[in-house]
Amino acid sequence: MNEYIPYIIFGVTSGAVFGISAMGLVLTYKTSGVFNIAHGAVCAAGAYVFYSLRQQADLPWPVAAALVVCVFGPLMGIVLERLAVAFSGVPTAFKIVGTVGLLVALQSLITLIYGSTSRVFDPFLPQGEAFSVSGTKVNYEQVIILLLGFAAAGALVTFFRLSRLGTAMRGVVDDPALLDLTGDSPTRVRRYAWIIGSSFAAMSGVLFASTQAQIDVNVLTLLVVQAFGAATIARFQSLPLCIVGGIVVGLLQKLVSKEITAYPDLQGLDLATPFIVLFIGLLVIPRRKLVETGRQIRAKAVPPSRVPRPFRAAGYGTTLLVALAIPQLWFVGAHLPAYNQALTQVTLFVSLHLLVRTSGQISLCHFGFAAIGAIGLGHMQGYGMPFALAVIIGGLLCIPPALLIAIPAIRLSGLYLALATLGFGIMLAQFCYGKSYMFGFGSLATERPAGFSDDETYYYLLLGVAVASVIAVLVIERSRLGRVLRGLSDSPVALQTLGLSVNVARVIVFCISGFMAGISGALYGSLFGSVSASTFNYVNSLVILAVLAISGRRVMSAAIVAPVLLYVIPNYIGDPDMNTMLQMAFGLAAMFAAANAQGGWDVPFTRLAERSSDRLRGPAEARLRRLEAHDGPSDKAQPVHGPRVPVTR
Amino acid sequence: MTLVLENLAAGYGGTTVLRGINLVVPPSSVVALLGANGAGKTTLLRVASGLLKPSAGRIHLEGRDVTGSSPHQLVRRGVCHVPEGRGVFPSLTVRENLVLQSVAGNESDAIARAVSAFPRLGERLSQLAGTMSGGEQQMLALARAYIQSPRLILLDEVSMGLAPKIVDEIFEFLAMLAQSGASLLLVEQYVTRALEVADFVYLINRGEIAFAGEPSELDAADVFKAYVGVGL
Ligand SMILES: Nc1ncnc2c1ncn2[C@@H]1O[C@H](COP(=O)(O)OP(=O)(O)OP(=O)(O)O)[C@@H](O)[C@H]1O
Ligand SMILES: [Mg+2]
Repeated sequence: MNEYIPYIIFGVTSGAVFGISAMGLVLTYKTSGVFNIAHGAVCAAGAYVFYSLRQQADLPWPVAAALVVCVFGPLMGIVLERLAVAFSGVPTAFKIVGTVGLLVALQSLITLIYGSTSRVFDPFLPQGEAFSVSGTKVNYEQVIILLLGFAAAGALVTFFRLSRLGTAMRGVVDDPALLDLTGDSPTRVRRYAWIIGSSFAAMSGVLFASTQAQIDVNVLTLLVVQAFGAATIARFQSLPLCIVGGIVVGLLQKLVSKEITAYPDLQGLDLATPFIVLFIGLLVIPRRKLVETGRQIRAKAVPPSRVPRPFRAAGYGTTLLVALAIPQLWFVGAHLPAYNQALTQVTLFVSLHLLVRTSGQISLCHFGFAAIGAIGLGHMQGYGMPFALAVIIGGLLCIPPALLIAIPAIRLSGLYLALATLGFGIMLAQFCYGKSYMFGFGSLATERPAGFSDDETYYYLLLGVAVASVIAVLVIERSRLGRVLRGLSDSPVALQTLGLSVNVARVIVFCISGFMAGISGALYGSLFGSVSASTFNYVNSLVILAVLAISGRRVMSAAIVAPVLLYVIPNYIGDPDMNTMLQMAFGLAAMFAAANAQGGWDVPFTRLAERSSDRLRGPAEARLRRLEAHDGPSDKAQPVHGPRVPVTR
Repeated sequence: MTLVLENLAAGYGGTTVLRGINLVVPPSSVVALLGANGAGKTTLLRVASGLLKPSAGRIHLEGRDVTGSSPHQLVRRGVCHVPEGRGVFPSLTVRENLVLQSVAGNESDAIARAVSAFPRLGERLSQLAGTMSGGEQQMLALARAYIQSPRLILLDEVSMGLAPKIVDEIFEFLAMLAQSGASLLLVEQYVTRALEVADFVYLINRGEIAFAGEPSELDAADVFKAYVGVGL
């Protein structure tokens, strides 16, 4: 028994940190209906601000902590509340795209400032021994963190029970419109919820960095996964249960890490614990207990293109000609490998397009599928299988995991699918990549098909595959399945009444999309003669989603714009800092695109246009004054603004 | 308090529900708003309380243009809207519902007032509002019209689905509110009862005002036509 005690102590301490983080996540989700995938990035930002204040600006730690929790957290909360409002009017898939964009932007910003390698984080809480349990010493830091966790939970519960603002927060969860009618502004109440949530996030980031004695943006960003593991136990509802959930996840994690020391095959399983908890939760929690918070928004259909058909055909023809000519063009030269990379990713982007735009579902692990595809290729070639067959097997290997994730998650709703895929992608990266059946410790050898070792010849083969996948997606969109899927994205309810099994359609498209992602990964893996775990960083799954969101709403634009943005342009830039900035720009643009998914920006833009058109008629101020001098200040001043263009939503 | 709706239009998404609405609620008076299902009564009240922004026209409260104000701002100006259905927070207790209805700092006073108006609520202060009977929930929703001492009260079918005895109780309560000097804009299914208490009547038909005047000017045929939804 005694050998478990250190693990229990560590587990409970880190669990308290997860719990604090989870409380922030659940509080903001419940009050605003926007699940912040970037919650871990907020934790990371808080930890880095603390690091700068304390270790770079040499402030005493209480000052730094107060600034982080009482200034940084609230400011972040105010910004996030505005973002949540911008995302409130779009379908779930785009809410997720929006917060994924935020994650990408924040993570890039942090990388830009602090670099992507981890730094030493000096523990700031007293490290002395508080007491010992059967010979294992428990230090003050651990005691303080645990007490802080319970104090935070207790304070929140009291706040919700006894204070008026806390009561109003529960009211806004029940019925925001009624809260407005009783005299409290829902916006104000939600702002406070985001402020508390972000402060909790910042606090948990600082504490987590302190328990790890290091600060690493990639690790901290993953705190969202631990948090949603804890939140699952709280059924995404109960705040006090979050702290319990956090401790359960923390304990499990440490106990698993102890048990697996004897089994190298299971190494890394402890890191996958939160995902396993989430997965079990999705399986066992009754559906009605996991309803999504917030208004369910139906996606608007993409309007038919304004460009007439012959012009479009001519445009595509020209694009194809340019694509055929690329290896010969003067600006390509040594950049040709980047074009080859881009071509392999066409398949990935159109498959993601099929999933997100056509069926309104989301996947945060598409790069994980690509990794599986690449691994399939490598291993099959190792057995001497011909290239084409190995690629197809790479794609097929993605179908079982796709089924495994999709079946429990799709039963619930878009948000839970997103969480399951994010968790799966991360588990794949942390648990599976290092195993011999995947990449192993080194890299996995791959080969190009015979006769294509030259980049230029290979370019044409890849172009052929890319065109074929675009055609495949176009055919699927126009097929019966495509019509079912579009109906799905418009209104799942209507389909259900038509007697078509929505869930079957969803699972089928998820598998097709995973299969295509696997193919693209296999092709990508064949480019450079070997693949390794670092090629398929899980964050890329989020980046590609952000890039897809900003690449237009049609298959053709997704196929052409997205790979160019992600592979060709960075290759010309070359400078890593500039490329991190580019990635940040992708994140920001994805947030903008997500908020605009239903034409949300039309309203402010129309207003702006209205106002500018007024301004054209002369300085409005001067005219107003003249009018007022004429017949006194009154409503008559109104006509100066000219006829109002009705602003429709 | 005077409410004036001037040339008002409103709707949801692309569809227009209300067109060219002109309506006045004079100070200290009871105005009944009658019309068929789907005529736009609820929509009109939602616009008047700021829940829905009009697409055209103006809203004046005591001569002041309040078009575009949000509901909580109008609450501060003395407007109280008891919405259709049950206007309570189901997962809060009765006491917590009353706390939210009251002005900050005045909670205990407000709870005492609510209990004096509806003694039945006093026995159930720590019950979850969502678990109370329909009539009790409606009393809780109506308590707001008393606690906040509003000067304009918008009531949307507050007697819907309740037992006759409770309906009597509610109408007594409304009469008391009217006596206290507040203006009432009343949407009711019990047409005759509404007409008994009303000083003025508006009939609304497919989003347009079909009749405006005193109850005595209205004959039963008009009301019938408005309710079956034929033009007058
Ligand atoms: N949220 C909404 N979105 C779209 N249309 C709506 C919405 N609410 C109401 N409508 C439509 O507006 C019209 C007027 O509805 P409203 O609720 O104002 O009628 P009403 O007069 O209150 O009817 P009832 O007597 O049944 O309560 C109806 O045709 C209704 O379908
Ligand atoms: Mg109604």
